[in-house]
Amino acid sequence: MKPSHSTKIVLFAYGILAIIFLYLPLLSVSFASVSKARYLTFPIKAYSFKWYTKAFESDTVTDLVIISLKVASIVTIISMVLGFFGALAFARYNWRFRRLFQKVILLPIFFPQAVLGLALLIWFNSLGVIPTWKTAIISHLVWISPITTLIIAIRAYSFDASLEEAARDMGASTFTIFREVTLPLLMPGVISAGLFAFLLSWGNFPLSLFTTGADLTMPEWLYAKMISGYSPLVPTVGMLSISVSLFVIIAALAVVHLMRMLKQARTHMNEGYGRD
Amino acid sequence: MSDPILQLKNIRKNFGAFEAIKDISLDIEEGEFLTIVGPSGSGKTTLIRLMVGMDEPSTGEIWLRNERIEKLPANKRPTCMVFQSLALFPHRSVGENIEFSLKIRGVGSEMRREKALELLDLLRLPQSYYGKRIHECSGGERQRVALARALAFDPEILFFDEPLSALDYRLRKTLEKELKALHEKTGKTFVYITHSLEEAMVMSDRIAIMKAGVFEQIDPAREIYSRPVSRFVAEFMGEVNLIPFKVEDNGLVGPGEIMLSESVKKDISGKLKKANATHGTIVVRPEFITFGKDKRADFSVGGQVLQDYELGSRIQYEVEAIGMDVVTVEKLRVDMFDGKPGDQCTLSWAMSDCHLIVGE
Amino acid sequence: MDRLNKRIAHFSAAPVLILLVAFFVAPLLVIGIYSIMPQKSFSLLAVPDFSSYNAIFVQGYLKSLFWSLVLAFSSTVLLFLLCWPLAYAMAKVFNRFTLIITIAVVVSLFVSENIRLFGWLLTLMKGGLIEGMLRHYTGVGFEGALYNVPIIIFGLVYVYFPFMLFPLMQGIAMIPEDTRQAAFDLGATRWQVLREIELPLATPGIVVGTLLSFVLAAGALAESKLLGGQTVIVLADDIETAFTYGQNWPLGSALSMLLIMIIATIAVFGISRVDIDTIMGRKQS
Repeated sequence: MKPSHSTKIVLFAYGILAIIFLYLPLLSVSFASVSKARYLTFPIKAYSFKWYTKAFESDTVTDLVIISLKVASIVTIISMVLGFFGALAFARYNWRFRRLFQKVILLPIFFPQAVLGLALLIWFNSLGVIPTWKTAIISHLVWISPITTLIIAIRAYSFDASLEEAARDMGASTFTIFREVTLPLLMPGVISAGLFAFLLSWGNFPLSLFTTGADLTMPEWLYAKMISGYSPLVPTVGMLSISVSLFVIIAALAVVHLMRMLKQARTHMNEGYGRD
Repeated sequence: MSDPILQLKNIRKNFGAFEAIKDISLDIEEGEFLTIVGPSGSGKTTLIRLMVGMDEPSTGEIWLRNERIEKLPANKRPTCMVFQSLALFPHRSVGENIEFSLKIRGVGSEMRREKALELLDLLRLPQSYYGKRIHECSGGERQRVALARALAFDPEILFFDEPLSALDYRLRKTLEKELKALHEKTGKTFVYITHSLEEAMVMSDRIAIMKAGVFEQIDPAREIYSRPVSRFVAEFMGEVNLIPFKVEDNGLVGPGEIMLSESVKKDISGKLKKANATHGTIVVRPEFITFGKDKRADFSVGGQVLQDYELGSRIQYEVEAIGMDVVTVEKLRVDMFDGKPGDQCTLSWAMSDCHLIVGE
Repeated sequence: MDRLNKRIAHFSAAPVLILLVAFFVAPLLVIGIYSIMPQKSFSLLAVPDFSSYNAIFVQGYLKSLFWSLVLAFSSTVLLFLLCWPLAYAMAKVFNRFTLIITIAVVVSLFVSENIRLFGWLLTLMKGGLIEGMLRHYTGVGFEGALYNVPIIIFGLVYVYFPFMLFPLMQGIAMIPEDTRQAAFDLGATRWQVLREIELPLATPGIVVGTLLSFVLAAGALAESKLLGGQTVIVLADDIETAFTYGQNWPLGSALSMLLIMIIATIAVFGISRVDIDTIMGRKQS
């Protein structure tokens, strides 16, 4: 039974409403970041970009960006590798503890991050390790590797095993098969997983809060300032954080688009020269 | 002559610019087994969805006895459809599936159980299947459960959307016969769609041939087989030989070196003239053509046997006759051609075994 | 062939498992041990006692547990009611719009939780986007919608919206279309189809979404602090305090164990009844 036309319109409106609702707070933040006043009230009386200038000149902000970037980049790379192999074990091969493995992997996702962060703090302390941005990498990985595993596993589910078997039939070693068959086929999943990993690490707060020690990531700084010692740079830094995320997403999409165009161009070239 | 139970009047259905159903009118008699046959894309699934209530026609009327129902939603129509996928509820048992239509109508559990067991009997399933899970049932058993479910609330008309196409040959043949028997036993009106001609012929009282959104012919199987109204219907109904004839200044002209007796020439010319047509097609089925010279034959032509095909109880031959399309001949094993591919032969057949399509 | 595959599987599973054992399981074990250490001690080797657990009952920490569970429960229920129509539309009704909504929701997830909650602060506070504009244009103002229980629930609903939406959508997508239509054809009304067919067949998605939302909300901290202004203290808040200002690791650990136990029971109960392969759309091989 198809839904009636009016029902469809209501649902459509509901969807639009949901999107507006999701992004309304960000709108407020963006307005606040260009308000001249030190303490924010709406309607905004004067607009200015001075907070942005201040942010770019600030050493604190620069430090925040660098640390957040360092952590996010390393987390991305490691979680992509862990996720790739984890996905193979999750979805591709049948082995005895696979179902148990699946459930174990999912546990960190279901776990409240603040408690996890605190637990890791205690653990590091017991090991005699002083928390720095390096320990934050580990704590991010605990939460993000299961997510990258899941994302790549989605792709691995539709993996055609016969391709690998054909390669083996032709005499390829396991390593070669991984390099020539498995990895290329799962690559789109690995890339999107990497994207997720970067963005989730970049924006993560609860884990960073407890495990970065004296170092501060952007989300941590924002939180601290929101709780006490409000600085008018808060909305601005917030917007900076969002812009980086947006930039990364758009860059990734652009790269994908470019690669697709390159591939098409190469195919056309080959056809033109009569090569196949 | 009783009133038809379902009437379609000038039904039209468009999807955007695409005309899925151009102009369909149909009267379905109560208690008949009507099959709608057509190639994919002919619109038969769209049509059945309109009849069942899952979609509304763009224009036109649908009448169930004295009630106009084309805008009535499916859950309010006293009809039921058996889907191609069967659409059984996987999370419910066999009995719960069958009882569903009764449960949602508020029938008590004792009565529901009684009816379900009754239907299990009718569909020749053991009573013990009442509590069975659906995934434990075989393909043929699931078919029966789907049928039982559809019959539970006593619908006026049962619709079938190619329910047997996913089954293997053996099972299909068995279920075709059982469906026919079920139809006779329950006395309900069955409207069936399929792309398989064989299925249609086995079970139906009438067959409606559908092409590109319209009906080409609606007739009992035998009529359609021996008197198709168009080339499309003729070809759709199985292997057929189509021989074109034209009326020219010097009389009736046929292809190649085909020879006609004088009486036949007069017969055909007369029919064409009466209908003001300049050409027509003779339809002759492969099984009516014989090998061998027969001076008194209405039609004869010489040719060379190209190939023979084993069809089990019959053998099919392809014969090349000059100036004509390849002629297909089918003979029972006992009457098979005395020779092999490459040999010359003469084919002949009688006018009484032919049908003339005027104007095509 | 099979043995080789099994070996590959074991090797593949190893890296991420090692990570989790070393930095997920181990910390939790440590927390477990600390929870039975004498209060305020920082050593793991003292004689075990249950004073921390005792403190939970005696010193009124059950109140914050209560609040965490109540807030989590209400926001989960609210989330289910709010997300179901949208998830249904996305799975069954919309075509390209589904992709747009999905992208919009996913992108919003990449923005740090703080920033988003801060944005609500700006929007809902006195002098904020809504109240400020309202007062400016109409002269009517209000105290600001913040610092109460409903706003905390609002924050939870906002933050965990995607975690209910996507699993529900997945679950509803699993309902075979034919099966739905057959139910209608047999005479069922919209509500009957919902009750008899759609809810039961979407159960895996419902379970995952509800579980995820509840568990994450139960351990949430930021909403009650930022939006609620700590008008109620949730368990995660007490845990943080115990570990930081309170300098009482055993107490913090005991409180953590309490939260973990409750979450674990619910999570295990839910996950065990769900087949992960089916949800993720694995083709039956």
